[in-house]
Amino acid sequence: MSDVEAILPAQTAWLLLSAFSLLWIALGAYWGRRNTSFEDHALAGRNIGLALGTATAAATWITSNTTMLAPQFALQLGIWGMLAYATASFGLLLFAPMARRIRTLMPHGYTSGDFFRLRYGRLAWAIFLVFTLFYSLTWLVSMAMAGGILLKALSGIPYAWGMSVILAVCVIYTMRGGLAAVIGTDFIQSLVIIAGIVVVGFAVLSHVPIERIHANLASERPALLSVLFPAAIIAIFNNLLFGLGEVFHNNVWWSRAFAFRDGVAGKAFALGGLVWFPIPIAAGFIALASGALNVAVPAADMVGPLVIADVLGHTGAIAIFIIVFCSLASSIDSLLAATSDLVTEDIYRRILRPAAAPRNLKKVAQYVTLLLGVLTWAICLPRIGTLATVLFFAGPLVGAMIWPIVTGLYWRRANAAGAVGGMLLGAGVGLACYFAIGWYVATLAATAVSMVWVLACARFSNSRFDWAKLKETA
Amino acid sequence: MIFSATFLGAIVYVALAWCALAALGLSAVLLRDLVNGDVW
Repeated sequence: MSDVEAILPAQTAWLLLSAFSLLWIALGAYWGRRNTSFEDHALAGRNIGLALGTATAAATWITSNTTMLAPQFALQLGIWGMLAYATASFGLLLFAPMARRIRTLMPHGYTSGDFFRLRYGRLAWAIFLVFTLFYSLTWLVSMAMAGGILLKALSGIPYAWGMSVILAVCVIYTMRGGLAAVIGTDFIQSLVIIAGIVVVGFAVLSHVPIERIHANLASERPALLSVLFPAAIIAIFNNLLFGLGEVFHNNVWWSRAFAFRDGVAGKAFALGGLVWFPIPIAAGFIALASGALNVAVPAADMVGPLVIADVLGHTGAIAIFIIVFCSLASSIDSLLAATSDLVTEDIYRRILRPAAAPRNLKKVAQYVTLLLGVLTWAICLPRIGTLATVLFFAGPLVGAMIWPIVTGLYWRRANAAGAVGGMLLGAGVGLACYFAIGWYVATLAATAVSMVWVLACARFSNSRFDWAKLKETA
Repeated sequence: MIFSATFLGAIVYVALAWCALAALGLSAVLLRDLVNGDVW
């Protein structure tokens, strides 16, 4: 992100940061007081209701990318860019029936790793763990780094301080309260983000009508209004597949499927997708108004905050600071919780200490959260630059896992050879395309190759999986 | 061929109204869950 003048005084920013940090930590401690076992800590007692379930599905998917990158997408790819971003909600919508099935097939499951181990055996499980841990750590680091960069850009708070504070706050309340704290804070964060976007959106429209925005774009940047904008149309497919792969495989979403009360998982993910769908459009169109408002945009990734500060002044700057802080926290806490559960369940419990007691496992999960936080902080501190490239690099890994998961959940003939080959071949071809052609085809190629291999292996297989094997109790 | 101002206005206003309804809907469902003791 390029250096632009801060839109909020550092003193006000520190005040807001302190207030929200104290609130999240206090709520985390309060909601975590009931946790006695690993199941309480990791899955909030498997009893999350519809309101919290819907809010956490939407809030976790609202990252700083949604609130900051959606305007950038609109500025660079126009109307199609906003619509392309909105297709990421399909990941949540399509995961809804899968979440219902996961809850039914695996009533005692803890992680997405449990599914791979029980469904496809240890080799597929090991490959899955390597892929998903690489992706989750990359996402976590990119979020923490984005936190430091955004807080500095918005308020001048030094990068190291902003990044450290937001990471420390999320680590503390996630350690203390586990998934209950994550989901509880997600509810508040989702309301704050959505309400903030609505207020800011109508404020922008009250300053500049749609007709003027359209007229300015038509004369200055007509490509942004073009019905046929090839780069933007390709971005739709890439975004769609990336979203599907991310939601289908990552333990962030599986842990929620396990944590929701019986009968809630499907509805909560479907409603979460519907809640999320309009957000990239509502947040993104603000960028299209920059020309009509004569707002100078020295850095495309700061277009949202610059327009909002221009229209709403000090109040707008406070609003965008709170929205960004909530977006970051709602994703970082979920990643910390889900990744620590994955390490605790799949590595510590299943490989190192099969006889570990539930109370002991809860402590291990808390320490793993702390270690993840420290590791993320150490990687982020030197500010090595943008991690967008690394995230796109992970796209083929994510795309290659879509078909082993979908067929494994619904088709008894899906087998280990298909899953292992699909993940390795898909990721290999996808990465080759990434380097030979570009990021925008990598996920698509990985998904296609993986699909062909997985379906062919299942078609010619004589094996029939016994679903009862997924009902492992300990 | 470009998208019209009417189309741009429609998707923006619908998105903003959708967001507002989503926030209200979430609050209403939370209230219902609180009354029924179904929050968690």
